[in-house]
Amino acid sequence: MQLMETVILAIYLVGMTLMGIYFTKRAHSSESDYWTAGKKINTFVGAFALFAALASSSSLMGAVGSGVSLGIPFLFAYGFGAVAILPFTMFLVSGQIRRSGVSTLPEFFKQRYGNSVQIIAVAIVVVGMTFYMVPQLTASGLIGSYVLGIDYTTAVIVLGIGFTLYAALGGMWAITYTDLIQGALILVGMLVLSIIILTQHNGFASLIQEALTVTPTFGDITQPWMSYFGLFLAFLWFGIVSPSAVMRNFASRDARTARRSALGACLLYLIIFIFGFIIAAGGASLGIAETLDNQDMIFISVIETYMSPLLAGIMFAGLLAAIMSSADAMLLAISAGVARDIYKEYIKKDATEKQVTRLGFIIMVVASMIGILIAIEPPQLIAIMVGWVGGGLLSAFGFPLVLGIWWKRANTAGALAGMLGGGLTFLLLVITKPFALVSEPIIAAPVSLILVIVVSLMTPPPSEEMKNQVDRYHGDLINTKRKVS
Amino acid sequence: MNPKLKDPGIILLVVLVAVSAFVLIWWPTEIYLMGISLAGWLMFFTYFIWFALAVAYVLWIEKVEKEKESD
Repeated sequence: MQLMETVILAIYLVGMTLMGIYFTKRAHSSESDYWTAGKKINTFVGAFALFAALASSSSLMGAVGSGVSLGIPFLFAYGFGAVAILPFTMFLVSGQIRRSGVSTLPEFFKQRYGNSVQIIAVAIVVVGMTFYMVPQLTASGLIGSYVLGIDYTTAVIVLGIGFTLYAALGGMWAITYTDLIQGALILVGMLVLSIIILTQHNGFASLIQEALTVTPTFGDITQPWMSYFGLFLAFLWFGIVSPSAVMRNFASRDARTARRSALGACLLYLIIFIFGFIIAAGGASLGIAETLDNQDMIFISVIETYMSPLLAGIMFAGLLAAIMSSADAMLLAISAGVARDIYKEYIKKDATEKQVTRLGFIIMVVASMIGILIAIEPPQLIAIMVGWVGGGLLSAFGFPLVLGIWWKRANTAGALAGMLGGGLTFLLLVITKPFALVSEPIIAAPVSLILVIVVSLMTPPPSEEMKNQVDRYHGDLINTKRKVS
Repeated sequence: MNPKLKDPGIILLVVLVAVSAFVLIWWPTEIYLMGISLAGWLMFFTYFIWFALAVAYVLWIEKVEKEKESD
């Protein structure tokens, strides 16, 4: 057991739990508060919250590990997509979704395409986000077992239950405010680690040279082109198709705050990937990749090698924080899906806010139990599992959502065909593995696109009312242009 | 012209797609800078372009909103 690290982790987790309890009262005061923090979050807090929700265990542990074992260009491909997440989301959907007035992804599908599409969407969100808990739990289990000296399975169970209770108690208020701390911890921790590595290796150029001497393939493109392209696509679309990230956007006070938060989060992402580059180079110069059973442990080894126990403890807290906030946001998306979008919508329309919030709590616990069970025997590396979730959500939701906003002619039949066709094609490719790793969305997303367009054109167009609704998504902008011209 | 095509988001999206297409089509794996493949460096340099596009979008939309308010 690493004593100092354990003490710091314990202090951190207790602090976060107290914060959760403090915000519980606030969260349960109204349903809106619980789900979206009452839409009162400001730019600064919003930027860190968005960043921390998106910067999952994968963007840290997975990216650094893959940058060492598969060559640094693989890490660059992560950032290539990930830094573009927020601009891409802003360009295509965030303003329009905000103007539509809905607060979850399935709610948007209901407004635009009707009940059938909403129910399918909720099912995909629940399954996708539950699976997404697996890489988060795997990563926390690896850190926990290393620091506490307990076995991996126990670590997964204990940490899994810990952050589920915390998320379930506090809702979005607790998650958003602790995210401010978690985002800052990640950033400062990685900054300090990068400075230590650069100092020990006498600067950037000699660090790269040492990395290349120890790991000659460090600078190479080691995988097929399709893997880099697939990874880029899966990350690029993540902000649009990830139900948890979209919900973050609504927790801001107004459209201006939401945009500025996204801009801030984009900058934080850029900085984190530069640090990731330096840390991966530090890892490559150690020559440890071959000696580890699990490549996802590389980042942990780098931290232990370069940092003192005190700093390493803080850094592990930062990593665990990243995992925790991502997992919390996912749990919230799962419980919102079932409690709000299904239970209150179709099963018990007159349910009180308290009943809905309570059901949300139960769903969170159930979902995390399932996640824990799968994470005990994780099916793949963290980076690959996260790539699958992004790719799967993109294949199912990407085009029904974007065309729903930008193409009036898109209709319910087209959206259903695109969602089911894209999702099933993706699953088929994951199971049969005909192509390079994580390249599934390169095929499955275009299948979804074609299905939405062709099936929409073959079936009757949406009502005039619906077409006007699509105009309203772009409302302010189009009205302005018309006024000006 | 369809006003949607003049949306700042769509215009900047075209830039984003063009830059990514350039990187992925050229894909110079055999040229090395400091021992790292140029294809990798190109992906790295896009980080800064993506951020610049985000800044451009936020400023552009705020300008459009201001114009609207002054109308």
